[in-house]
Amino acid sequence: MTDAAIVTQKLTRRFGNLTAVDGVDLTVAAGQFFGFLGPNGAGKSTTIKMLTGLLAPSSGRAELLGLDFAAHPVEVKRQIGVVPEGMGLFERLTGAEYLQFVGRMYGLDRPTTQRRSEELLDFMQLSDRPKTLIADYSHGMQKKLALAAAVIHGPRILFLDEPFEGVDALAAGALKALLGRMTERGVTIFLTSHVLEIVERLCSHVAIIHKGRLVAQGSLDELRAGIAGEEGSKTTLEQIFLSIVGQDGGQRPQLEELSWLM
Amino acid sequence: MADVAAHLPGVWEQIRLVAGLRWRILGNKLRKKHNQWDLLGMIVAGVFATLAILGISVGYGFGAYAFLSGGHEAWIALLFWGVFLFWQLFPIFTAGFGVGFEFRNLLRFPLSLRAFYVIGLAYGLADFAAVASVCWLLAMTIGATVANSSVLPAMLAISTLFLLMNITLERMIGSWLERILARRRAREMFFALFILFAVSVQFINPLVQRYGRTAQPWVRQVVPYLTVFPPSLAGRAIAGAAQHNFTDTLVGAAGISAYVLLFSVFLWLRFATQYRGEELSESAAPARSVVRPVSRTAEQADALRLLTPQVAAVLRKEFRYLTRNSFAFFLLIMPPVFVLLFTTQFAGRHPTAMKHPVSTEFFFPGMMAYLLLILMAPAYNSFAYDGKGIQTFFTAPVSFREVFLGKNLLQAGMLAFELTLSMVAFSYLVGLPSLPVLLATLAAIIFNVTGQMTIANWSSLSFPRKLNFGQMRGQRQSGMAVLVSFGTQILLGGISAPILFISRWTGDKWLPAEVFAFLAAVAIAGYSSSLNPLAALAEKKKESLIDALSR
Repeated sequence: MTDAAIVTQKLTRRFGNLTAVDGVDLTVAAGQFFGFLGPNGAGKSTTIKMLTGLLAPSSGRAELLGLDFAAHPVEVKRQIGVVPEGMGLFERLTGAEYLQFVGRMYGLDRPTTQRRSEELLDFMQLSDRPKTLIADYSHGMQKKLALAAAVIHGPRILFLDEPFEGVDALAAGALKALLGRMTERGVTIFLTSHVLEIVERLCSHVAIIHKGRLVAQGSLDELRAGIAGEEGSKTTLEQIFLSIVGQDGGQRPQLEELSWLM
Repeated sequence: MADVAAHLPGVWEQIRLVAGLRWRILGNKLRKKHNQWDLLGMIVAGVFATLAILGISVGYGFGAYAFLSGGHEAWIALLFWGVFLFWQLFPIFTAGFGVGFEFRNLLRFPLSLRAFYVIGLAYGLADFAAVASVCWLLAMTIGATVANSSVLPAMLAISTLFLLMNITLERMIGSWLERILARRRAREMFFALFILFAVSVQFINPLVQRYGRTAQPWVRQVVPYLTVFPPSLAGRAIAGAAQHNFTDTLVGAAGISAYVLLFSVFLWLRFATQYRGEELSESAAPARSVVRPVSRTAEQADALRLLTPQVAAVLRKEFRYLTRNSFAFFLLIMPPVFVLLFTTQFAGRHPTAMKHPVSTEFFFPGMMAYLLLILMAPAYNSFAYDGKGIQTFFTAPVSFREVFLGKNLLQAGMLAFELTLSMVAFSYLVGLPSLPVLLATLAAIIFNVTGQMTIANWSSLSFPRKLNFGQMRGQRQSGMAVLVSFGTQILLGGISAPILFISRWTGDKWLPAEVFAFLAAVAIAGYSSSLNPLAALAEKKKESLIDALSR
């Protein structure tokens, strides 16, 4: 389990004068449940897009499962699953049609695609509306379908951008259990979320990006070790996050300015 | 304790705030770089609209003057009918195709029902149809007063009542439409009906020419029933004032007032329902779990087994999208209908638009070229309806070569079906042309379609523009894609014209068929060799493509 699933070297992305991701060196071991955190606009989604082929880096390189993404894009894509920002669904298909489409795009044969589609729709509790178009799904249902599509081909790395946003508690519980089982079987999961409690519960390792730069990386215990928490209590991920991201002063809004609300 | 304002703004202040909000939204929208062409378009459209309104106003003013000075006072009802129909129908056709919840969104603010009602009516007056109609009513008032100054008080009173009636009715219809069109299926059905209506209008002229005289007695029977409607009542009131028959004026005014009252009550009830909170959600109601039938598709042989799984998947997806897109689906119905229409007008034994029919030798290739012009247009922006789904093409382990192959195969299949259908209709109505012309046309179609597809694929990557299903408002292709489409058609036409000219000059009937067969082979080879460079281009353009389609 020590082989690296994801390695980036000086990964950089610029949009005109703005450097959204600035020389990120990241290493994620195979089988890790990896949380990628950062404030709004820090560069999380841009990094995920570069690691999944949706955005070309301005410089630097990304290596997934030992393969250079730029040199072997199709082979890398075959082995990864993605829930992108905005989910990327074809909204005029039904859930079953979309899963069958994705399964075939990943090269699965028809019977396997059919069987897996039905099992995934059952698991995600989406099988009771076989004729409903995705356009008519609720946000949470679309999110569950996007997750189902990301795993239909049995990926070795799974990239999830805010996967639990809008998903009800029941489905979220089942999904967390599923993701946990996947990591036990050696699948690497790379997840971004603003809900730090979820990341703390699920992830063994965390990286924090701030203003495009990687400011912390390691296991939760390693990060806790670097922060002085209250005596006798365990430092939470929220405290770690705030202490790292809020270090450069003026980051947290000053409540005194809103005195008329209090 | 948080502070809240002691007093709410008055109704007029709220109207001013809403108008300011609309203006700010428009300004911010036009400030974006890619919308600067839209600003130019709006200025040009605004100039033309103003000229049209002024021109028609002159017509209305002159009409009112002519009817009152010529002793045909009752005919002024026709002018009121014109204003009425435009005011009520135009907003349906322009605003009815999109979801417009802006007005309802005001309900989150602390408005009284009375304020909500007044703002709703004021919203109705800011409409293009309302502005135009008010101009026309003013023009009618001026024209009528010049003809007979004693009708001025009646014209002012009746026009005001007529205006109130129209605003109230238009807002009532708009409000109901908003409720009905909140659901996607209803919007698409409405859109399909509109397209059907637009196609049906093309047949009015041939039908009037054939059945016009026999329908006249039926029209005369219907006319008396129209006198109870507001425009006829308005006409009766003005005619009464002009003829000093004040009973008619009073009856007309009372009738319109009754309509104003009736529509106001209905509109109040409608707005009250909205005010209390109305569910207009798109989401389906929770469904009960059902036992899933045993799937059979996996057991059946794959009809597309000759294709790679990826190409077959894209082809299936494209077919499903085609059948679920009312606009694209109706585009498929239109070409054979137009072949039928043009054939009855210009060809065959008894053309309705000409004394002598056009020769089949010219008409057949012309019609096929016309069909290609219509049917190939969507190919120049072939990712338009994919929306955010475009990301799947980039995250999946496929080359865009396969994506284009899937999309182009569906386009080619659809073209083959449409052209065959039209040829069958053509051969039934006027017969097919001679064999050399038929073969030359078929070879030219292959050359044209394959050549266009190569350029259309490039255009789809270079000038993508997102389009929404079943929606007409704000649905525009990229201007560059349209230019490329026209340029390609002109180029291919420019290649074809000398071939046909040389054939006529030399008298060699088989020359076009031979040359077009050669060109078709070259075009197929060109198309095939373009796929890999296009896949590389897709990789380069992926950011702009995803950005344009995921908005």
